Formats: sequence, structure tokens, C-alpha cells
Amino acid sequence: MIVSISSVARALRLILTIGALIGGSALAAPGPASVAEGIYASAPPRLLQIRTLVADAGRQISIGSGFLVSADGLAITNYHVVSQVALEPKTYRLEYVAADGSHGDVSLLGVDLPNDLAIVRLDKHDAPFFTFDKSAMEGGLLKGERLYSMGNPLDLGFTIIEGTYNGLVEHSYNDRVHFSGALNPGMSGGPTVNGEGLVVGINVATRRGGQLVSFLVPARFAATLLQSAREHETAPDLRAEIARQLTAWGAALYKSLGEEGFRSTVLGPYRTPETIAPWFNCWANTNAGATPKPRANINSTNCSSDTGLFVASDLNTGAIQINHSYVKTVDLNQFQFATYLTQLSQPRLVGGGPFRKWYTPERCHEDFVSAAPVQDHPPLRVIWCAQAYREFEGLYDVALIAVTQDHSSEGLVSRLSLQAVGYVDAIALGKRFLEAVQITK
Amino acid sequence: MIWVEILSRHRDITARVRIASPEVRIGRGYDNDVIVDDPYVAARHLRVFRDEAGQLVAEDMGSVNGTFLDGGKSRLARIIVDGTKPIRIGQTDLRFRAINHEVERERVARPERGMLPFLGAAALGCVTLGIYMLKVWLTQTSEPRVSTYLTPSLTIIATVLVWAGLWALLSRIFSGRSRFLRHLLIVLVGAFALSLYSEFAQVSAFAWTWPTASTYQYVAIWSILAAMCFFHLREVGPARLWLKGAIVTTVLVTVIAAQTLQQSEAFSDSGRQNTTRLLMPPSFRAVPFRDENAFFGDIAGLKAKLDRDRSQARPVEAGR
Repeated sequence: MIVSISSVARALRLILTIGALIGGSALAAPGPASVAEGIYASAPPRLLQIRTLVADAGRQISIGSGFLVSADGLAITNYHVVSQVALEPKTYRLEYVAADGSHGDVSLLGVDLPNDLAIVRLDKHDAPFFTFDKSAMEGGLLKGERLYSMGNPLDLGFTIIEGTYNGLVEHSYNDRVHFSGALNPGMSGGPTVNGEGLVVGINVATRRGGQLVSFLVPARFAATLLQSAREHETAPDLRAEIARQLTAWGAALYKSLGEEGFRSTVLGPYRTPETIAPWFNCWANTNAGATPKPRANINSTNCSSDTGLFVASDLNTGAIQINHSYVKTVDLNQFQFATYLTQLSQPRLVGGGPFRKWYTPERCHEDFVSAAPVQDHPPLRVIWCAQAYREFEGLYDVALIAVTQDHSSEGLVSRLSLQAVGYVDAIALGKRFLEAVQITK
Repeated sequence: MIWVEILSRHRDITARVRIASPEVRIGRGYDNDVIVDDPYVAARHLRVFRDEAGQLVAEDMGSVNGTFLDGGKSRLARIIVDGTKPIRIGQTDLRFRAINHEVERERVARPERGMLPFLGAAALGCVTLGIYMLKVWLTQTSEPRVSTYLTPSLTIIATVLVWAGLWALLSRIFSGRSRFLRHLLIVLVGAFALSLYSEFAQVSAFAWTWPTASTYQYVAIWSILAAMCFFHLREVGPARLWLKGAIVTTVLVTVIAAQTLQQSEAFSDSGRQNTTRLLMPPSFRAVPFRDENAFFGDIAGLKAKLDRDRSQARPVEAGR
């Protein structure tokens, strides 16, 4: 499970970053420790702590980090650090605190939802700022290179953390740098720099249950965001912008899923669709070793996508799951076996957030379905359940469950669940999915 | 000779006095033939005698509160007694009857039915319990255990007996006879109907893809319970059946409305239907398979509903 660094406990803790050292003086300093020392020494004027305040109370509800990227006061941070202000601008506002204790207002200029980035403007001019590493943006970093991540973990004070570049994360839909270093809550939005003090990535997340497994957003996305903020100086309606970006991201995701396509794998006497997209993690499951001895054998495969997207502190969406369970009775009669399948085939629509805030009530439809040609396809009992997002026009969560009806003592329960999908895309994928459930010859 | 009967408020006879003389005097004083201990009755209140025509006549002897005919609002000085309608003095009802008053004919006793009702109740009980046990067995997917059969069946037996017993007690109180066997038969028929309905709802949800019977199962359950209560009430006392029916129907409608409201509120809170989508053996299917394209056509139709839900949800969001 990947967690945003800021999302521990209730308060988002942004990282106050410590500015990186620019220029060769740090490298020229003697001794191996001097690189980090040099970077640390020159970083503070470029680093910010970004606080989300409750507008009425004037107190912070969460904190994170950010860093200056231009002389006229533009700074980069994570979207999840400023999401409350982006979604509820009347309730919350932003404030920065610099390393020297000065503070002032922050206005939100733009967000990049898929890459969890945001760009803000401060009333701070002519301060030193970070520049992006051009060669890293073109993919010039080598695995094993030393990187330095900066921030204010757990609000304990500015910290610099040394770690290793480990390339881009495999099986990930969104590009993320795998950084082996100890990112902690409160460092979100802080920069990770190379030995020359140039930004190669932005601290974003860490893997719960891992050791030193952390993730960065590649610097090129921040550079793009900076570019577009310069071109459109007027602040957009962020709520509408977030909806637009989410819809576009969802459309691209499901287009990509459709284009990658399915391959068929054999499960018992059936062929089942399995996605070819590389950003899925697949695991097998069996109850063969269970005690007491199971009265029906289940062999299942579970594929889940690595596409969860942070939209709000209470909404993560975009996950895709494909699940097949082949069940064969041991000593259950056909009624008991049907009850067993009933338990496996309930349409659980798993929303990524609280229902009443984000979703409409679920609507379901079920029927007996057969796909042509009949000799290749088992007859099915199919349940389709869907719920719409209240605020995001054209986005739905969908669950499709198919149970084979050709035998009374064995069966296949196939499940496809899609979050943040367009309805037409969902029907097209659902149809392909059902047609790919076949009988082996 | 005249019989004087003092009635309770429920019209049961609390005292019956035989008067040999042709005239009876009634009041609170000790110079009367019949003394009525009612503070609203005069010391000398009423006189009953035969007039020239030979009819029994009740005559008020100048009381303050007066004398009334059953249910009447106007005080009467002189009432011709017919032996059926009670006469009220103060707060006491009285009835006067001559010895030639006609009584109802002797009722014919029903022939003895022997063991038949017992056997019927036992058979019905066994069938109902058997259906329940069968259902437990057919939905058993974990290790079979004796207790999964024993505990619920003992609970059911105890519930049925206690239910019938309570109604029998009510019958005993209000009509003097407990009629336990009849109450037991009513419970068993009700339980049998309940289990039949639940099977019907489940099969129809799968075989015909018609989940309505299952979704509104609570309506059927409450209706069966209401019918049972009505028949129990009829056994307790056959009087004023329309009133009992009206009370049972009112309670039934209220309960169904309350549960419908509660379910719709739960649905709007959770967004999930509280129904299990049951599967049965494939051979139970009673409708033809839908063509895949037709099925997805139906599904495309859901989009309009979802979008309508969304546009209805919007106004709530606007306040945020």
C-alpha cells in the first residue's frame, strides 16, 4: 500500500524542505560528508513549509513542504498538500513559513492531479530558488546515484536525507521514481536533489510496510506545470479543473487498458481474460490447505492495478481489479454449492471514499446472459452494479460479476471492477470481458 | 313473581334476587326489597309492579338522579319492562324478568372430533419444521454440526408454544375458554405460510430474475403476522370483528410504512441495497438466456437513472 507522506493521522504534514546547494562549491569541499552538508547549508532560503489553515480559525490543519522555483515567487508542492484549499477554498487558506521564520499568504495557481503536483505563488520576491536537473528530465540519471531529499519530517525541523536513485517504478501507471531513502510524513512536496543541488524529483509517497521504499514525482512534470502556470496567469476554477483532469486521466487510463488488451488464461475448464497491461499486480490464491478441509475447492487469480489516484483526503480512486475464482465442489450438493457461489459473487462496489459525500446510490441489473457463439461461451448469470460520482460528470464506479451456469457442481466467478470510468468505456470493457470468458475445448 | 338481576358494567349478572310479592321496591334504604349500594341511587328509588293490563312497569319514586332505559339520555318516570333492555338507576344496571320470560333454545353440542385436531397440529408442525431444517441443510457450506439444526429448531418450537400459550391465556381471561389447540393451529398455519413465501421469493429472484418479491418480503411477513393476529383475536371473542379487523389493519399499515421509511433512509445513507443476490442450481432457471447485446442494452439504460441520481444529488452539494 502506497501512502501519501502527508496522509498520516488526520493532519497532512507537508515537508518543509531545506534548500539545496547550488554550484560546485559543495562538491569541492573536502570529505564525503561535505556534499550533504553543502546542500543543506544553501537550501533554507529556497525551502518553504506550506500550511493549510482553517480560514475562520486561522490555525493550521495540516502542513507540508514546498520549494521556490522562480525569482518571482512561484513554488512547487504536492497536490495532496493543498487539496483542501483546491476543493474548499472558502473553508481553508494557505500560508507559507520560510526557514527564517517569515511567513505570508500563498495563492494556488494550478494543479496536476495525475502527478500529485501543485504550483503556488508567494508574496516573496528575489529569493534564491531551485532549478531542475535537465539531464534527469531526459532520463540521464543512473541507478545507484546518490540523491538528497529535504523536508521537515513530522514537523521536527529541517532535515536532509541521503538515499539512492533506483530508476522508475515498474508496474506503475503513473511515472514515479523509486527512491531508497527514509521519507516520512511531513516531507511531502519537498525537493530531492542530486549532488549538484539540482532538483530531480519531488517527495510524494512511501510504501507502508516497506523499509526505505519511497517515491518521487519526476522533475519534468513540475517543469511542465511551471511552464503552463507562466502561460496562464489567471487562477482557474480549481474544482472544475480537478474534475476535468480526473475525467481526462480516467479516459486515458481505460483507453490504455483497452489497447493493452486481454490474454486468455486457463482456469479449470474455462478460459479467463487476464490483462496484458504491465501496471497490474497479479496473485494467485487457493484454499487447498485450509482447515477445516474446505467443502469446495477455490482457485483464484487476483489482478489489481497500481493506479490509485489521490483526489481528496477522503477520496482515492482509479483502481481496477480483475478477479477470477474457479470453484469445484468436494462434497457439497448442488444447492449448497449454489449457496457457496452466492457468497463469492456478491457485487461489492468498493468506493474510494465516503458514499454520501462522493457517490450516488448504486444501481444494479442482473440477468442470465449468453454470448455468441454458444459452443465457445458458457451461459452466465451476470450482475452489473454502478454508482456515479456526484461531482464528476461522466465518471462512474462499476462492478461486473459473471457466474457460469453450465454445471451445477463447478463454476467460475469472474469479477471486473472499475473506478472512475466513463459509462461507454465501462460497457465496452465489460462486453470484451464477458466475451473472453470461454470454455476450453 | 319477579326476578331482579343486578348487572355489572360488562352486563354479567352479579346478583339475582327472586321476589315472591307482586311488587318490588328498590333503593339504598333498608326498607326496600332489593338494596342497591350505589351512592347515586335514592333511598327509595324504583318500584316495579304489574299494571291493570298485567304488564310489568318500573316507576321512579321521585329520585334526584332519575331512571333511564339502557343507553337512553332522557329520564323516564315510568318504563314498561320487557325483560331484555336493562334499566339504569344511579350507576347501576338492573333487569327485571317475569317467570314466563323466554330463554334461548338449548345449543346442540358438536360431535367429539377425537384426536384429529391434535394429529393435524402435529403434522403441520412437523412439515413446517421439516421445511426449515431442509433449508438449513441446503445452505450449509461449512462443516455440518448438530447444533446448527438443534438450536434453531428448539427456538422455533419454544416460540410457537409461547405465542400460542399467550393467546390461549388471553382467551381464558376474556372468554373463559383457552382454546389452546385452535391458537396453536393458527400459529402453525402462519409459520407454514411464512416459510412457503420465503421460498417463493428466493426462487423467483433467481429463476425469473424477479427480485421484487424478495425485496418486499417484509410486507408479506407483516401481512401474514397481521392475519394470524386477526384469527387469534377472533378466537378470543367473536364480538365486534370489524373493529378488531380495523385495528389489525391499522397496525399493519403503520408497521409496513415505518419499515419502508426506515429502509429507504438506510438506502440513502449507505447507497447499498440490503439484499443478497441469491444463486441457485442452474436448473432452476425459468427464463431464457438474454442475448449479450440485449443485456448490455439494458445496462446502458441504467446510465439515465445514475445521471438523474447525480443531478438530484447536486443541490445538496451546492451548499458546500
